[in-house]
Amino acid sequence: MELFFHYLSQPYLLTGIVFTLLITALGLGGGLAMGLVLAGMQLSRFRALAILARAYAVISRGTPLILQMIFCYNALPLIGVKLSAVEAAGLALALNEAPFIAEIIRGNVLGVDRGQVTAGQALGMIPAVVMTYVVAPQAIRSMIPALGNEAVSALKNSSLASVVSVQELTLRSTQLASSTFDFFSVFFASGLMYLVLTGAIAFTQIILEVLLDLDLPTPQARLVRLLPWRRAELAPAASRPPAVRAPVAGAEPLPLAKTPLSIDREKRRAAFADGKLAVEIDALTKSYNGRPVLQQLDLDVRAGEVVALVGPSGSGKSTLLRSINRLEAWDSGTIRVFGRELGTGPNGRILSPREIAGARAGAGVGMVFQSFNLFGHLTAKENVAGPLRWVQRVSRADADRRATELLNRVGLGAHLDSLPRHLSGGQQQRVAIARALAPNPRVLLLDEPTSALDPELVGEVLEVIRRLAVEDGLTMIVSTHQIGFAQEVADTAVCLVDGAIIEKGSANEVLSRPQNPRTAQFLQIMAEEEKAAG
Amino acid sequence: MKIFQSGSRRGSRKARLGAALATQLVIGVLGLAMLSAAPAAAATPAACAALQAKYPSLKGKTLTNGVNPHTPGYEALDPNDPSKYVGFDIDLGEAIGDCLGFTVAYKPVTFAALLTTLEAGQADIVISDIYATKERAKAADFVTYLKVYDGVLVAKGNPKKIDGISESMCGTTAAENTGYVEVPLIQALEAKCKTADKPAPEIQLYDNNANCIQAILAGRADTYVNDVNTVDGAVKAYPDKLEKATAVTLPYSVGIAVPRNKTDFRDAVTAALTEIQKAGLQAELMKKWNLPVDQMEAPKLVLAD
Repeated sequence: MELFFHYLSQPYLLTGIVFTLLITALGLGGGLAMGLVLAGMQLSRFRALAILARAYAVISRGTPLILQMIFCYNALPLIGVKLSAVEAAGLALALNEAPFIAEIIRGNVLGVDRGQVTAGQALGMIPAVVMTYVVAPQAIRSMIPALGNEAVSALKNSSLASVVSVQELTLRSTQLASSTFDFFSVFFASGLMYLVLTGAIAFTQIILEVLLDLDLPTPQARLVRLLPWRRAELAPAASRPPAVRAPVAGAEPLPLAKTPLSIDREKRRAAFADGKLAVEIDALTKSYNGRPVLQQLDLDVRAGEVVALVGPSGSGKSTLLRSINRLEAWDSGTIRVFGRELGTGPNGRILSPREIAGARAGAGVGMVFQSFNLFGHLTAKENVAGPLRWVQRVSRADADRRATELLNRVGLGAHLDSLPRHLSGGQQQRVAIARALAPNPRVLLLDEPTSALDPELVGEVLEVIRRLAVEDGLTMIVSTHQIGFAQEVADTAVCLVDGAIIEKGSANEVLSRPQNPRTAQFLQIMAEEEKAAG
Repeated sequence: MKIFQSGSRRGSRKARLGAALATQLVIGVLGLAMLSAAPAAAATPAACAALQAKYPSLKGKTLTNGVNPHTPGYEALDPNDPSKYVGFDIDLGEAIGDCLGFTVAYKPVTFAALLTTLEAGQADIVISDIYATKERAKAADFVTYLKVYDGVLVAKGNPKKIDGISESMCGTTAAENTGYVEVPLIQALEAKCKTADKPAPEIQLYDNNANCIQAILAGRADTYVNDVNTVDGAVKAYPDKLEKATAVTLPYSVGIAVPRNKTDFRDAVTAALTEIQKAGLQAELMKKWNLPVDQMEAPKLVLAD
């Protein structure tokens, strides 16, 4: 026991810790840098880069670290690269860690909800902005536990540097044991030192997790969470959203009182009949694996017109809407938004994702998704204000003002600082609408905006959309199964079946007196379902 | 770290040798003021000055000595000050350095990695109780300095009655280091054991001396055949648990390994070693580390065929 404490306090072993930490830091730092590059290569749209990164991962993960250490130390000098023992060991550890870290990064990047990426694209964010402001903040949060693991493993793996004569803790312990014959005291002492080091990593991980926990907004709350006796509160915090939902939904400031919809349809029609063409779709054709999704589809939408897209599920409504915003590619045909083609350059050249993003922002097409696709790590206000700053380069103060104003307008003034997961579905969709409206789009695409909502929440969202049509005169294309709503708000109804328009006309006419039997059949089913649900 | 080590190494050497010989012998060590003032350098044989003049490129250099510091008596940490390596091989290397005017730094590696480290240029010289065999000479040139006497380490009471690298080892387990010359000798017993209708000896390979000794202490192995002085050291550390069954002679010598393509350096080391032996310095060092002086051998080269 006495010897144990003697070795524990011996400067010789303690200095070994410095080398152990140095190798670990080199390995982790280098591994993180290379891992980022490798993950980027694997996620890139260039196949060759992905293959290259994959090949490297196979080699690096498939050979033992001890051989890599010896390689860096003894083989590199043969080609003229003579590294010091510490450098060689650090390089080997970095080379070895890189593919593991790359997989952690890649997995967590892919783990971020695809819908949020789509929403970012629809808002006109270039890929780098989507990565920086949407994907990275969420991926980093979720990759901390795995990176903590990796750090512990790198620390322990640094002991293999002993084979290339780095004076780290393991090498020093074995040498000391050889010369003193005190195996157990020496190894227990160095074992305890390793334990302290890995314990420090584990503690750092906990601190980071708490600091990045979005559910703990204030520094005090974060500190409190670190106290072991307060850990019990974790569970209730996680199940908070349902509890919040009920009372808040009742306290909606959004007046649901119906605006008298004495819309003079004829007057409206006359108003936009001579107006500019907002969206022109010509002979749009697209197929998935040989199955046609859109067939020679033609559609013109005039500025100020509200078009309801109806039709059975899978009829191509979503694909059509996503095509207008160039979130989908198609096989042939053209789409023009206010005379401008999204996705192709002046001479028909296919634009890069970055250029398409610019074109989207420029064309002024907003989009609202069935599953809201709010940025999960941002508050309601930031969901609206953030994209304004990142895409339209609006100042923070102006963006905040605009976000507050829009959220007030959709009745969410009391929820500016709420995270999406603490809002009900209807509230989330209203935030999403505010976000889509923020850059003043000239066309708003709404892809089944109420289909993912509980029936009692549908009304509040429809009310917001209704006002946009009536009060703002916004051009909108809405795909919906809410026939009553469509009849009430839309000027034009388009019935889509199997990717082709089977009927088109005034919403009133098409939805109450359909000419095409298949439209009639679809409306019949909708009516029965509504009756059954109601 | 390297600098610190070699510096304090030198310090211990100074204390050890004392101010024995005349100071005019150090004329050659001009570049190192610290050394020329130190009594330690006084032990450098007179002829070394001439050698330094003959091989001026070594003077003032720091050369790296690759060692497997798990062999107390030859090379191991100083238990009282683990920042230093001590042992006969260490002192001999320092003496050669003093003679030729270079400083020695150390690189600890596993036994099996000694020669690869030298080949990769990560060490300049290897003085680490390594036996100079023809096989190893394919990787490095050797300059010999000791005859080989091996001891047979067994558990107290020699329960398996092992009497050397002989039929008595059939059916037993031997612990050895990866790369040790004893390994093929023990493996060669297989035919003999077969004739006697006994199972062949089993060999467990470790990567340092200490692990081999532990294998016997833990009952995993029955014997460990290695340099007799190492075996004696182990018995001294565990007198109640270990004993030396016998000593055997092997047809090898212990050698200093130098890179194959550097004949100039090899000649310099050979000449320095010769002078050190002539001056009685090697015998003095052997006495200091309790090695029998009759083990000393005049330098001869072991080269690949």
